[in-house]
Amino acid sequence: MKGKAEIHDFVQELLTRSGDDQPLTDQDSLLLSGRLQSIDAVEIVVFLEENFAIDFAQIGFDRDQIDSIDAIHALVQVASSGT
Amino acid sequence: MPTNEAQAKNRRVVIENVLHMHPGVREAALVDDGSGGFVAFVVPDDSYMDEALGRGTAGSTVLGKWQKTFDLSQLNKEAGAAPVGFNTIGWNSSYTRSAIPLGDMREWVENTVGDILQLRPRVVCEVGCGTGMLLMQVAPCCDRYVAVDFSPVVLDRLRAQLRTVPAIAERVEVLERKAGDLEGLDENSFDTVVVNSVVQFFPNVAYLTKVLESAISAVKPGGHVFIGDVRSLPLLQAFGTSVELFQAADELSVGELRDRIRRRVDREPELVLSPAYFLSLKHKFPKISRVDIRPLRGHADNEMTRFRYSAILHIDHDDSAHIDGEFLDWTERKWGLDEIRSMLKQHPNQRIGLKGIRNARLEEDLAAMAILDGADAADTAGKLRQRLEQGADEGIHPQALLDLEAESLGFKVFLSLAASRSDGSYDACLIPAKEQKGTTSPAINWPEPAASAFAHFANVPGQARMRSELTDQLMAHCNQHLPQDSVPRKIILVDMLERNA
Repeated sequence: MKGKAEIHDFVQELLTRSGDDQPLTDQDSLLLSGRLQSIDAVEIVVFLEENFAIDFAQIGFDRDQIDSIDAIHALVQVASSGT
Repeated sequence: MPTNEAQAKNRRVVIENVLHMHPGVREAALVDDGSGGFVAFVVPDDSYMDEALGRGTAGSTVLGKWQKTFDLSQLNKEAGAAPVGFNTIGWNSSYTRSAIPLGDMREWVENTVGDILQLRPRVVCEVGCGTGMLLMQVAPCCDRYVAVDFSPVVLDRLRAQLRTVPAIAERVEVLERKAGDLEGLDENSFDTVVVNSVVQFFPNVAYLTKVLESAISAVKPGGHVFIGDVRSLPLLQAFGTSVELFQAADELSVGELRDRIRRRVDREPELVLSPAYFLSLKHKFPKISRVDIRPLRGHADNEMTRFRYSAILHIDHDDSAHIDGEFLDWTERKWGLDEIRSMLKQHPNQRIGLKGIRNARLEEDLAAMAILDGADAADTAGKLRQRLEQGADEGIHPQALLDLEAESLGFKVFLSLAASRSDGSYDACLIPAKEQKGTTSPAINWPEPAASAFAHFANVPGQARMRSELTDQLMAHCNQHLPQDSVPRKIILVDMLERNA
């Protein structure tokens, strides 16, 4: 599950930079809970575009898709399977 | 001096000297932490923050991020199905993090359009037009409408909607540009430039000033620059308190609540401005004859009506007939709406000015701040909310005063937030309608802000990260140059150091 670990590390870094030192689980809400702001969502999007070749202009975008590490990983898996 | 005292003093000097070796430090002072160690208070060096930590170049990065945010909002499936001229995708409540109620958005659009149309626009440039919520209602009243935005995805949505309304489209020109790239707009070529709900996404005050310079240059004498939906700096703390208290579970401690509020204010990614900034523009740009600062109109209770305002720059107006007169201090008598109504009936030919009117929209937020200030850290958010329920309502809702115009009392009502008070109180001028010619606001000598309001115009968006990075650097620097028992236990960045005499 290399992809998931990379995603976890990236999100953890975003939280740390924001001064959030609370524990992070794969299920924790990131945006809808307010732990990350909408402008942080852009960093996640760019990370996914650059590291996993996800094209949101093709697949559409919804905050729910990136609201947790599990959700982000599921999006990556779907995108990489081409479905 | 006893040896221990001398050693302590020397140790302090050594630590302060090490701190001053770092280029990010302008001033530093140590305070005993009571257990043999020190807490270091540091005033950051501005040049270092700008150059080494990228605060000066953060602008393009910040703009890029906001552009992407708006692009992404329009990649949502719902965006394509939004009604023409009412695409509210991305307009989410800071409180609930879900969409702001449509009724509130509708009222916000209607009132903003009303304020712009009062200026009698014919040739308009809108900077940050978005998906056209204002354009679709203002452009039909205009001969020419130039719509500028930096998000290509948003502009694609706008163009698609314009294709469905050719009568509007034929007078609209759409330009993809950043707000800071307005060179090329001819001088004195517009009667109105609109910058609505946009400035909060600018990276800093310098960028905003550059945008407004272009806007002012583009407006002909007698015209206006309308800067709408500006987030209020004097009310930033109240806003943070309001949102965090709303979201707090009952059992959350007051101590933790205070930390959350402080973090929210520190992490604020948007540009938040004092009205004093806009008032100061009169001295920088001679074309500005006066500046009005108005609370937002509206009955809805939301973060826009509570914590935002509009600024109108009047360009080269003939304000020789401006309105002077005394403002009665509302705080001395605290007149209610009925008493004010009686005053108007008793004095139908007299102008009435009232200053310092407590803003009923902010009653609860101000009470929460006062209770929080005196509360024990171990108290809970739930107990704080219970105490709020017992509070008194003294203020007047701004819209209630504006609604007096419709009561056949024969008065026009004008409100102002120019005084920039941190309690959000406002001033009112009620003028006999027969005295008031035309639909634009008269030149009223509103109460001005205290001098201190001009010292601090704006926050620094995203400063928390840069300050966090500097703190990390300073701690690493101390660890490198000091024995372990001399490394400060904590480093706190401050804007200035207060010295004891």
